[in-house]
Amino acid sequence: MNDARQRRGILAKLERSIGDPGSSDMQEWLGRALDIRIPADDLRFALVRGMERVRHRLMSSNFGLPEFLVSIDSVLDGLSLISDQDNTAISPDLSLVIGVVKGDPHDLGKNVIAAVYKAYGYRVIDLGRDVSSLVFVESVIEHKARILALSAMMSTTMTGMKDIIREVRSVCPATKIIVGGAPLSEVLARSYGADSYVESALTVIEKTRAMLGMDPGYSA
Amino acid sequence: MGRRARSGVPGRIIRSVLNGQIPPPGLIPDWLLDSAAGLFSARAGVTPLTAIERVITTIRHREPDHVPCCPLVIGASRRLVGASFPEFALHPQVSAEALMAGFEFVGGEIIVPMLDLSVEAADFGQKMIYPEDSTPHPDYSDPLIREAAGYRRLRRIDLQDAPRMSSIIEICRTLVKRMGLKGVVCGFSFGPLGVLNMMRGAQHLFRDCMNCPGEVMAALETITGVLIDFVEAQCDAGVLAVTLDTLFASWNGLSREMWEKIEGPFVREIARAIRKKGCLVAVHNCGHGIYFDSQIRCMEPSIISFAHLPDDCKDRRELKIRYGDQVVLMGYVDTPLLSSGNPFDVLQECRRMIDDLAEGGGFILAPGCEYPPNLHLDNAVALVRAARKFGRAKGART
Repeated sequence: MNDARQRRGILAKLERSIGDPGSSDMQEWLGRALDIRIPADDLRFALVRGMERVRHRLMSSNFGLPEFLVSIDSVLDGLSLISDQDNTAISPDLSLVIGVVKGDPHDLGKNVIAAVYKAYGYRVIDLGRDVSSLVFVESVIEHKARILALSAMMSTTMTGMKDIIREVRSVCPATKIIVGGAPLSEVLARSYGADSYVESALTVIEKTRAMLGMDPGYSA
Repeated sequence: MGRRARSGVPGRIIRSVLNGQIPPPGLIPDWLLDSAAGLFSARAGVTPLTAIERVITTIRHREPDHVPCCPLVIGASRRLVGASFPEFALHPQVSAEALMAGFEFVGGEIIVPMLDLSVEAADFGQKMIYPEDSTPHPDYSDPLIREAAGYRRLRRIDLQDAPRMSSIIEICRTLVKRMGLKGVVCGFSFGPLGVLNMMRGAQHLFRDCMNCPGEVMAALETITGVLIDFVEAQCDAGVLAVTLDTLFASWNGLSREMWEKIEGPFVREIARAIRKKGCLVAVHNCGHGIYFDSQIRCMEPSIISFAHLPDDCKDRRELKIRYGDQVVLMGYVDTPLLSSGNPFDVLQECRRMIDDLAEGGGFILAPGCEYPPNLHLDNAVALVRAARKFGRAKGART
């Protein structure tokens, strides 16, 4: 009974260590959890719950991108430490190719989204920025990606999405395609042939799961 | 809005008038501006106003004959003179020619010579990429500031050694001269944190704001000194207002508290320098959930140009009620609508916007951000047409 209470307490502290400046270090609580052999999946879910809490503080005036980036770093560090002990991923079948379209150098949004996907257990193949259509197609085929996520932050580059989507559809019709970026909208995304449009990290997991026909909650 | 520089005021006003230009509004007594705006507004029901009369009426929060329009046709104007992106960015004569061509072809009342957001960073030494078919941008694989220690190594530069900023000043001078009383030229500078972002990269900069804010602020101080020189030179070139782009005062950047601490004190200084020259301070922020109240506190702007509703307003009627008497609202036609909609869609959206925001003056119709530079100009023309056609507040329309 005491053990169970202690475990719950540590998991709660671990969860709160994500994005809470008043709370102790994530590594400290993770270290304690590993010491008493709390199962890896429980630890992952605690970190993802922490991430979930932080993600829902986005798009508010008292929690900016700096805090969010530091929180993501913390979650990814934690997941990496857990993987050193137990390398079973939460959702190993959800492979996802992500990148910024050709000509566009802005990768902050893409990096944030890629990190969120990683934190939620997706197998992320990050192609970086300024990626050509051919590289997207080859990568989707090579990794049998279930999802392709495209980003564009400029109105001059976003039109390149149309060609990428058309080419990926012609070779991998089952791959679902989600797009995002400042100059885009739901209407524009649909007109380019995308399956879904995401405005920010706040809704990316829910939108992705809905696109895949899954329950909107995270896999934990 | 009422602050003004006293020294040599009559001389500067007379000089502007003799040159066929608008005197800096901050040098004109408020009572005189208000009286003029009142007269223009009364006349608006009878005869059309000139562009200048329309803008003055609007910035004094009186209703003109129709709302002024700033179509923000910047990079898109280059096609009217057959210039490539690099030619438009790097040759001030070409840029000025293109911007004037855009103004004459599309119309509107206000022109903003904002070539791209890398102008200031390029002059600090940031390596740039000038694509043929897209807007110039920093080479993010080769940032000027590679580690946190680099913030304090940033050195102040002189405008004489700053070719791109000097180009902007030259463009301002040319446009002011060529526009005369046909319209208004509004200068532009990226805010200091935006400039720093171009030299460090957003992800590193944001982490540094958390981990070593003192280092970040040391660089901001250096940049601010240069930006003050830059905006003052634009004011001396004869612009009516200077726009400061403070993107990071929004949900897309820092929290309100962090922005007020990190960038707030520096933009306050820049805004003060603009007002001291008698020019108006305008703010542009195309982020989501922008902090109107923080930016008003820090910069006391006369105009805020925005792309999305502020964080504390649920719709535009609330925006008008909360902020409509504090600042002139400028915006905020959606970029995706301009990109994917047809001119009829644009006209209808502008009409709804005017209905919600134009009452009592204090509204300038504009895109939320630069008009998409590779897009045909039909929707920019529709924007200007909407201002003329529907630009009287709903109650005043006949």
